[in-house]
Amino acid sequence: MIETLHSILIYTFIWGSIYLLISLGFSLICGVLRIFHLGYGATFVLAAYAVWTFMEEVNLGLIPSILLMLLVQIAFSLAVFYRGVFQRYLDQEEILLTLSILIFVALTHLANFLFPVTAGVSIPTTIIDDTLVIGKVRIAYQMILAALAGILVTALYVLWFLKTRTGLVIRAISQNLPAALLMGAGVNRMYHLAMILSVIPPTICMMMIAPFWGVDPFMGSPLLMTAMLIAILGGLGNLKGSIVASYLIGFIHASVSFLYVSRFMGLAALVFTLGVMIYRRGGIFAGETLW
Amino acid sequence: MVTLEFRRDRVLLRWKDQKYEWVIEPRYWRNPAIGVGLLASLPLFVSAYPNILTMITTANLYAAITIPLGLQITGTARVNFGPQLYLGIGGYTAALMNLHLGTGPAVTLLGTILVCGGIALLLSPTTWIAKGLYFSLISLILPLTFLDITFIYGDIFRGEVGLVGMSPLFSLPKVNWNYIAYFYLSLGLMLFYLLVCDKIGRSRFGVSMAAINENEDVARMMGVPVDQYKVFFYVFPSILTGIVGWFIVHTFRTFAGVTYLPLDFMTKILIIVIVGGRAFLYGAIPGAYLISAVEDSLRMFGPINYVLFPLTLIALIVILPRGEGLWGLYHKRHHRDYYPVLHVRRD
Repeated sequence: MIETLHSILIYTFIWGSIYLLISLGFSLICGVLRIFHLGYGATFVLAAYAVWTFMEEVNLGLIPSILLMLLVQIAFSLAVFYRGVFQRYLDQEEILLTLSILIFVALTHLANFLFPVTAGVSIPTTIIDDTLVIGKVRIAYQMILAALAGILVTALYVLWFLKTRTGLVIRAISQNLPAALLMGAGVNRMYHLAMILSVIPPTICMMMIAPFWGVDPFMGSPLLMTAMLIAILGGLGNLKGSIVASYLIGFIHASVSFLYVSRFMGLAALVFTLGVMIYRRGGIFAGETLW
Repeated sequence: MVTLEFRRDRVLLRWKDQKYEWVIEPRYWRNPAIGVGLLASLPLFVSAYPNILTMITTANLYAAITIPLGLQITGTARVNFGPQLYLGIGGYTAALMNLHLGTGPAVTLLGTILVCGGIALLLSPTTWIAKGLYFSLISLILPLTFLDITFIYGDIFRGEVGLVGMSPLFSLPKVNWNYIAYFYLSLGLMLFYLLVCDKIGRSRFGVSMAAINENEDVARMMGVPVDQYKVFFYVFPSILTGIVGWFIVHTFRTFAGVTYLPLDFMTKILIIVIVGGRAFLYGAIPGAYLISAVEDSLRMFGPINYVLFPLTLIALIVILPRGEGLWGLYHKRHHRDYYPVLHVRRD
């Protein structure tokens, strides 16, 4: 029993921290632009397949491929999602959401068409190819590094939002858009910045988890679902809520996996989220502001 | 004592203190009759092409899913992003009952209605608990979770392959006759849904539905039992959607969650709502026929059609007139009773 508890605690920390990376960008867009980015899953697909394309088709090294991919991600996010969809349909949310999903679906099928599962796409981003033994629990170093990256990136984002002037402006926009406009906040510029900031955590996440999570064209859907569950549970667009919800979902996943069967972890997280919503309609931190 | 009164534009039937009326003036039924006549005559032109018959049968079924969705969206004042959940539940209930219990279509229909109604009733409190956006997200997650379950219990649901070999509704001597018969059945189902939903929309129930859609608090203040109505408008359309699943099972004799539960299928239904005319019941028909035709014609391009299809849908949303959609092109010249405004609300 002690061993099981030990495993649950360790994997709560690891999965919770990775879920932070998965959900941070989604929560950021929810908090700042006040919309659901249902095309968010495309970020993961684009990250993996753009790196693979640059490495295999253009014969670039890993680092240049990652840097180029990041540029592609930012350009895609700004040109397609922000300029193409969000800006045009901000007042028609059902169209905005449908278009976002369609772009995600199109990108997923394009990845599947160009590189089906049989193509064996893999991203060689393993940093330490070894395992660490804590008590009787054996964990891959890559998982620990991914978890640490999650904590580091989240800490940097939170510090940046709390300590810089730009962060203050973004928080102001998130709290009260009309008031921020009256105070002269450059809302459009900040929206652009939020879009750029939102692609960085999932991109880092994809690079860190690719060696042990695996890469396939349809991986965006489960990752988007995880991000959405965390956003709903934590409170839409609230980073504090996202942090708490990430570890809660991590705990549920770890508990169900070690105490029962891992295949029920998604269902358990959903039931838990619905249960929480009965008592707190807006999630754990229901303020709908960034911080 | 029953009395009949013939007036200029309608026939009135009175019985005790009840009054029933039927409009007989042509301007009220001429265009719908032409529309139904055109749809009903389609097999005359395409009866030699089974693939086209299948396409228009599918279009009828898409419309039969979209029509109750329009009613649900308006009546619950929430945008449901996962109507295919009940299609899956209905389909699997009918298929499993048929395969494992050996029950005929009539009994599986009853089972489908009961299971879909029960699950919808169980989930209906989400329309009170979850605010607009939260509801949309939860409704998006539910079918995907159900899809997961179909893979987890692969021995029951047969995961990727799905269930096959269910008994047909009927079997005619010639294959082509079956195609035609199933087209007419699907058309009948779709028109029946349209009639029922239209009647609800035009009734006192519909006025309350519109009030809920416009402003829940004001509706509550005016004495509308909002919570009860929301349960009804969640459960009833869910049952109707489940019946479409039952129909698919006994028509195509195969049912796989992987076809109907993922995001791809959901986007088709939402696009029909948007392109046809947002939450406007009649818009579902031109929307469904258009989407079905586009989907079918893109198949000639081979595997790339999976990429081309969402791209074409994006183009349709961007190009076609927004708001009232295809139905609005026709309907804007006529009087409108109520045109629901859709918002994925935050409250």
